[in-house]
Amino acid sequence: MKKSRVGLLAAAALGILPATGWAQAKGNAAAGDTAEAGEAAAAEGEAAGTPAEGEGEAAVPEGGGLEEICKIDPAACPNLDMEKEAARPLRENLYAMQQIFALRARRLELQPYFGLTLNDQFVSHPGPGLALNYYITNVLAVGVNGNYFEVFNSDSDFNAQVRRSARVAVPLTEYQWSAALNFTYVPAYGKFAGFGDFIFHYDAYIVGGVGAISTRPIPVIDPDNRNFAFEPKICFNAGLGLRIFLNRWFAVDLEMRDYIYPEKLEALSVNEMDKTNKSTWYENKSTITHAVQAQLGVSIFLPFSFEYRLPK
Amino acid sequence: MISNATKRLVSALAIGFAFLGISERAEAQEILLTGPLAGAPAVRQLRLYRQNRFEIAPVVSFTLLDEYQRTILFGARLTYNITDWLGIGVWGAYGAIKIPTALSDHIQDVNKDRRANAPNPPGYDETLSGRLLKVNMSTDFTKQLGGIDLVLAPQLTFTPFRGKIALFQSIYIDTDLYISLGPSFVWLKERAQCSVGQCGNEAIFPMESRMAISGTGALGLMLYVNKWSALGFEFRALPFSWNRGGFDTAGGGKDKEFPDNAITASDQRWAWNTMFNISYSFYLPTQYRISE
Repeated sequence: MKKSRVGLLAAAALGILPATGWAQAKGNAAAGDTAEAGEAAAAEGEAAGTPAEGEGEAAVPEGGGLEEICKIDPAACPNLDMEKEAARPLRENLYAMQQIFALRARRLELQPYFGLTLNDQFVSHPGPGLALNYYITNVLAVGVNGNYFEVFNSDSDFNAQVRRSARVAVPLTEYQWSAALNFTYVPAYGKFAGFGDFIFHYDAYIVGGVGAISTRPIPVIDPDNRNFAFEPKICFNAGLGLRIFLNRWFAVDLEMRDYIYPEKLEALSVNEMDKTNKSTWYENKSTITHAVQAQLGVSIFLPFSFEYRLPK
Repeated sequence: MISNATKRLVSALAIGFAFLGISERAEAQEILLTGPLAGAPAVRQLRLYRQNRFEIAPVVSFTLLDEYQRTILFGARLTYNITDWLGIGVWGAYGAIKIPTALSDHIQDVNKDRRANAPNPPGYDETLSGRLLKVNMSTDFTKQLGGIDLVLAPQLTFTPFRGKIALFQSIYIDTDLYISLGPSFVWLKERAQCSVGQCGNEAIFPMESRMAISGTGALGLMLYVNKWSALGFEFRALPFSWNRGGFDTAGGGKDKEFPDNAITASDQRWAWNTMFNISYSFYLPTQYRISE
């Protein structure tokens, strides 16, 4: 047992010896070979190098390494006036390429947000939403997003004011949900120095896609007889967003997105002969509607960290 | 006999040496600003685009979220930048173009149809719509809409954020983000005030001009194209109360929130009056300074 413990201890101690020790033995052998070859080359070079030596005393700089080069191969000997070179003005600026603070490539972005309607003065459609985007490259992502509106639709005071002041009824709609497949492109990346003290990074992106939105008219013209159900419609969307990174995996987002879809509005006229006929409740043709929404949320990137792949 | 303590010591040494053989993987670390960078400024050799320079910028403004009428204003901004983060100046603009919204056009279309289809006799004024809308609707609704004629806003400009942006990973532009704050003097035109029994007798309601004094604030982004010019985008709010539709909406009933058949200050409704501005700034002198 005693011998086995000592043996283990010795083996462990041998394991931590630097491996360069073995390489040095090889290196010494290689150096020896090189020296022999160098001596032969130097013999040749002396004859060829004689004219170079005769040209000027300052042509061959002193120094161990350069002297060896000149002895071996006078043609490769640097022809420098060291005093003159030392007197040249130096460029002091050094440019270093800083790595991008937050890479997006091959990361999943989880983006919860809350949307606010910007351009509907009669009925607002705020609501929470969620987006999932996978970044194929650092600038291109594919993903999905969805919004929920149903319990958040609200009629504004402006609606009542117009109806009472002008006796004009404006057809209204309410939203239920929307979902879309999107592509995101990040053309801009930047950073700001705040108050000359801290630096934060941001990027700006363009997003667009196609999906569906479920809406229905709010009966205004004939609420006693008309009753509408939610119906999905095809919906395109396009938007611009700004993302401010608080660290390498968490960012605050502000986005403006336009949801474009064909809306079926309530008919402004009433068929007095048959008010309950559903075919008379809608306008004859659809109206292209732009629902512009401001979305404020956060971005969570997964995985939380990343590694740069640098060329070797 | 080897003592238990010796046995434990040898075992521990063996395990310890084994751990030394395991290579450590360097983990990515954040820049902690210690060592030689501690206390150093965030940016060196910063181009001071604003410091001790005059800024002259023509500006085009587009009002946002308008209910009845959009306005396009043309103006200019003059600023003297005392430091790279503080400037004092003035913004002024004239409301040159006023465009009714689709809602206003729709209201006027309905108004025209009612008047055209009214039985005569007795005429439109004796119909239900004519009596109910006498105070609110003239023969041309678009002629009674409120509009901004002139704005003058002395302001302080703070530039807390300086940076750069890379477009398509190849075009690099210096940028800064600024905030402007100050009072505002707004010359506007809205429907003239009238008392009970005197409103609605005219075919076209008379308008009057007044000045609204309020405050204004803006958030802007500057993109420096070269040493002496920059493209600017700005979001501005100009909050004040005014009667944008020329309607009688308040002044009577409970809490004076119901119509009173008169056009008074109660009918002026508060609004943010937001606008989006685009500007192109010229800096004098044309050469900027560079910080340490």
